[in-house]
Amino acid sequence: MTRLRAEGLSLGYDDATVVTNLDVTVLDRKVTAIVGANACGKSTLLRGMARLLKPRKGAVYLDDRPMAELSTLEVAKVLGLLPQTPVAPDGITVADLVGRGRYPHQGWFRRWTERDHEAVTLALAATDTADLIDRPLRGLSGGQRQRVWVAMALAQDTDLLLLDEPTTYLDINHQVELLRLLRKLNGEQGKTIVAVLHDLNLASRYCDHIIAMSDGAIVAEGTPQEVITAELVEKVFGLACVIVTDPVAGTPIVVPSE
Amino acid sequence: MTTLTVAKAVRADRRRRTTRTAVVTGGLTLVVFALFVVTMMVGSFRLTAAEVLGSLLGTIDDPSLDFVVLGLRLPTAATGLAVGLALGASGTIFQHLLRNPLASPDFVGMSSGASLAAVSGIVFLQVGGLAVAGLALGGAVIAALLMYLLAWKDGVSGYRFILIGIGVAAFFDGLIGFVLTRAQLFEARQAMHWLTGSVGQANPTELRLLLGALVVLLPVAMMLQRQLRMLELGDDAARGLGVSAELSRAGLLATSVVLLALAVAAAGPIVFVALVAGPIANRLLGPATGGIAPAALVGAAVLLTSDLVAVHLLPTPLPTGVVTGAVGAPYLLWLLATTNRQGTGG
Repeated sequence: MTRLRAEGLSLGYDDATVVTNLDVTVLDRKVTAIVGANACGKSTLLRGMARLLKPRKGAVYLDDRPMAELSTLEVAKVLGLLPQTPVAPDGITVADLVGRGRYPHQGWFRRWTERDHEAVTLALAATDTADLIDRPLRGLSGGQRQRVWVAMALAQDTDLLLLDEPTTYLDINHQVELLRLLRKLNGEQGKTIVAVLHDLNLASRYCDHIIAMSDGAIVAEGTPQEVITAELVEKVFGLACVIVTDPVAGTPIVVPSE
Repeated sequence: MTTLTVAKAVRADRRRRTTRTAVVTGGLTLVVFALFVVTMMVGSFRLTAAEVLGSLLGTIDDPSLDFVVLGLRLPTAATGLAVGLALGASGTIFQHLLRNPLASPDFVGMSSGASLAAVSGIVFLQVGGLAVAGLALGGAVIAALLMYLLAWKDGVSGYRFILIGIGVAAFFDGLIGFVLTRAQLFEARQAMHWLTGSVGQANPTELRLLLGALVVLLPVAMMLQRQLRMLELGDDAARGLGVSAELSRAGLLATSVVLLALAVAAAGPIVFVALVAGPIANRLLGPATGGIAPAALVGAAVLLTSDLVAVHLLPTPLPTGVVTGAVGAPYLLWLLATTNRQGTGG
């Protein structure tokens, strides 16, 4: 049983089709990374799975129902999303932003409840951003800011969480910090997480499952050990390399060959 | 921090923000009400607040007092109030939707469209009164539709919309200049007067139309404020949170355009009120809080104050638009200077 899957999915922008006829099954309660070269369609796939793009063909199913038949609000109660470049209004404070994650749970007249308080509190605590609540987002470091955006997505209180390149623009320390946070959310709250990632070594280290894409198609899928091989990296990224084993975690590491 | 202290901090922060919004909204309501009453106290002979309120509430039975208050001064004061509310609400919706403090509807071509239609009517068709208002209304709506079509590309994005709006405004302003050169002296004078904008020029039908629209559209705008706050985070984030982005945006734009169009139809293109109301309200509410009701109230306060200054404080009574322009222009320069320095112009 899987909660989120796509069948025969084709997606595109304007007159260009970017991904064609994909079948994707997202493993429940696992952390999945989508990797691939630039412009291979990995963000497009994520956007399609998050109903930001209408399928050209095929469909995305959430809990076995076609997403097109669900109201966007219903989806938002189950599936959270952190877009690649969210915009923060000028001067917005951390508490205000995180609180906006509660939108799908509030009605026209039912405004702020105990449940909202609780969800925001948990989101702030999980992301270690509670001491920032009255700070403006603009004044935070890149790593802190990204943690706050994750907190907003967490406040949405969904079982599934999709993140589009959450580690881009972060330094190595903050990248690791963010991936550890995703691991923790998966471990402690059993969240199903899908993230588009660039760094193969970090994806191998912190994800259970890797989907490798090339030219709008899925070329390999499985555990890091199964997917990250010298042949695959050569094929997907055009990089000749040697795979060594991470001395700490035993996961594969890509080392460019001469 | 333990979860308990976090919970306390979250609660305190929430309370602080809701209290501030309530205090600001309440305070602004009082200020606007006071200005509304003061507007009816001053004039060729002065009345006391008690007299004005007595006549309004019907507790003082004095036909000559009623004539002055209800017959002469109430229509002007009510126009000032209604036009200010409409401009303030319309402006702040645009600024939030386009995420830019410069994106006031009087900057992006709508007031210019209204003015072109009205001035053409005055000059070529020699119409006056309600016909001019109708033309202005049509002009604003057509300008808005035109811009929506021109700026449309996978949804309306902020900068594109503003640049096209400024282009459209310049185009309309050029045509207004052309129309004025073809005008006879009398019509040209009348057109210029209309173009300056004044709350004194509204007739009862225009006022009733605007008040009716406000009663319906202000609550609609306030209902859509939740969606507006999500749209501010970008379309993808808003959709991820369950907002029908295109539908909400269309609803907000339509509300804003109709409010602006009716305000311009009633009082002419009174400049800068829509531009300053939102940012002033934001200053009072705290950054990024936003609020359509507080912005509408600020709009009303600015307009009523400007009208008091224009009509009663200056040696010769002037149209309201002269005063709002004189105060608004330096603000605009300041805004341009500071947004560029912070790099937040778009």
